Amino acid sequence: MITVESAGKVYVTAAREIWAVRDISLSVAEGEFVSVVGPSGCGKSTLLHMIAGFEAPTAGEIRVAGARVAGEIPKGLGYIFQKDTVLPWYTVRHNIALGLRYRGRPKREIADKVAALATLAGLGGFEDVYPHELSGGMRRRLALVMTLACDPSILLLDEPFGALDTHTKTLLHVELLEIRRRMRQTIVLVTHDLGEAVTLSDRVIVLSRPPSRVIMDQRIDLPEPRDVFSIRETEGYSRHYQALWKVLGQEFRAAGMTH
Amino acid sequence: MATIEHAAAEELATGELRRQVEGRQRAIRTERFHVVGWQTLILLAVLGFWEWSTRTPWFVEHTIMDPFFVSRPSDIAARLYAWVLGSKRGHLWPHLAATLWATLLGLVVGVATGFAVGLVLSQSRRLARVLNPYVIALNSVPRIALVPLITMIFGLGLGSKVVTAWFMVFFLVFFNTFKGSQSIERELVDFCRTLGASPRQITRSVRVPNALAWAFTALPNAVSFALIGVVICEFVGSTKGMGYLMITSLATLNATDMFTSVVVLSAVGVALVTLIRRVERRLLRWAPEFRT
Repeated sequence: MITVESAGKVYVTAAREIWAVRDISLSVAEGEFVSVVGPSGCGKSTLLHMIAGFEAPTAGEIRVAGARVAGEIPKGLGYIFQKDTVLPWYTVRHNIALGLRYRGRPKREIADKVAALATLAGLGGFEDVYPHELSGGMRRRLALVMTLACDPSILLLDEPFGALDTHTKTLLHVELLEIRRRMRQTIVLVTHDLGEAVTLSDRVIVLSRPPSRVIMDQRIDLPEPRDVFSIRETEGYSRHYQALWKVLGQEFRAAGMTH
Repeated sequence: MATIEHAAAEELATGELRRQVEGRQRAIRTERFHVVGWQTLILLAVLGFWEWSTRTPWFVEHTIMDPFFVSRPSDIAARLYAWVLGSKRGHLWPHLAATLWATLLGLVVGVATGFAVGLVLSQSRRLARVLNPYVIALNSVPRIALVPLITMIFGLGLGSKVVTAWFMVFFLVFFNTFKGSQSIERELVDFCRTLGASPRQITRSVRVPNALAWAFTALPNAVSFALIGVVICEFVGSTKGMGYLMITSLATLNATDMFTSVVVLSAVGVALVTLIRRVERRLLRWAPEFRT
């Protein structure tokens, strides 16, 4: 579904060139949930940007559903940013409808879909409210259903829960797993939070400090369906967490020293 | 048992809480009363001193408080009454209408062009860079210095007033729009692209609303600027308007006429800014951080 082959990205400034990502290769199968973790500044977001077509890779090749990605956004791709990306000047209703409007869908279809998605996001009754009146968690859910309105087959999540408190974050994890169970999207999640990665994913990929490479690729064989609340108490979870932390922790330490 | 205790404690707390809330509300009301009271007192003191001193021979002879120069509140009130309802009824309206009309036209044209140019320039980085020094140079020209020139070119009528007001407003709105448009977050644009937006749809649903918000925040200042521009233009050369009324009062050394014009103009300014703030609040109801 997604293949990244020896992809690299150089940022050129007047004085020097910086390799944000160097020689990363990985692949994500259809319907798979893969998390990418690594020390800050390891180029996790750059990797995601390149898959989404926001930035073209300097070296290597990226393919989504067989087609080469180069500066164009692949069809059926949804992207959630860490930053708040709902449009403040539109109501919740208008925000949810945005993708469908862009595509020129009929009014009838838009209205039906908006109603269903508002309910899904727990925003029923808030349709005519402006985003500034919503809580942080509600705005996250709004951004998520704005993307879901377009029925993406691939979801790229760029530290989407980073700015939230643990309680809100955990509830959103539950919802994300539920949505994924129903719609079977291919998901790539970039995160700082190893616990989040182990809880949610089928596979966790660890990137080294920059110039970053893949240094670990671990399958998380925890039973499905997963219960977000109790999974952290299981022996399997601890085993995976510790194995990953052994590698990731060292990268953190090494990256910290060069800072 | 525990629940009963808990309920009792809660009731005690709500009783105590209610008392505290009421006390606090009372304090806020008292505070407001004090502020308004003092404000009224200060106003009355100033007006009272003005009235009294201009009627006291020592002040009239030894200080500036000579009614020939500073008029007096009762005369100003009487003159205002005469202009609006009394013997010289109809004297004020043509002048007021001329000033308001020119202000409104200048404001509309200034806001529209400032917004449009700001938006267009912000879309092209190169264009912005090329024109930057000219924009800065034009903006740092003291605008009042150009009023005689504008009057010479556009004549004594409406034309030069509108041009002056436009000139005052344009840069204000232009700068706000320009800076605001550049501050748009890349993530917002990229997000909308993943939702399937074409460049034109991005402009319509992201860039324009964002730029409009920034332009709106300039509105209250723009109104004041437009009014100032028009009145100055009327000082320099015109045949009608509040500024013209003041200049003719100067020619006839009539302080009462002059003060009355000032009072009317101030009232108009306050009314316009209040109105535009309402409009702004309505237009920006989605953005609490933008409201001024």
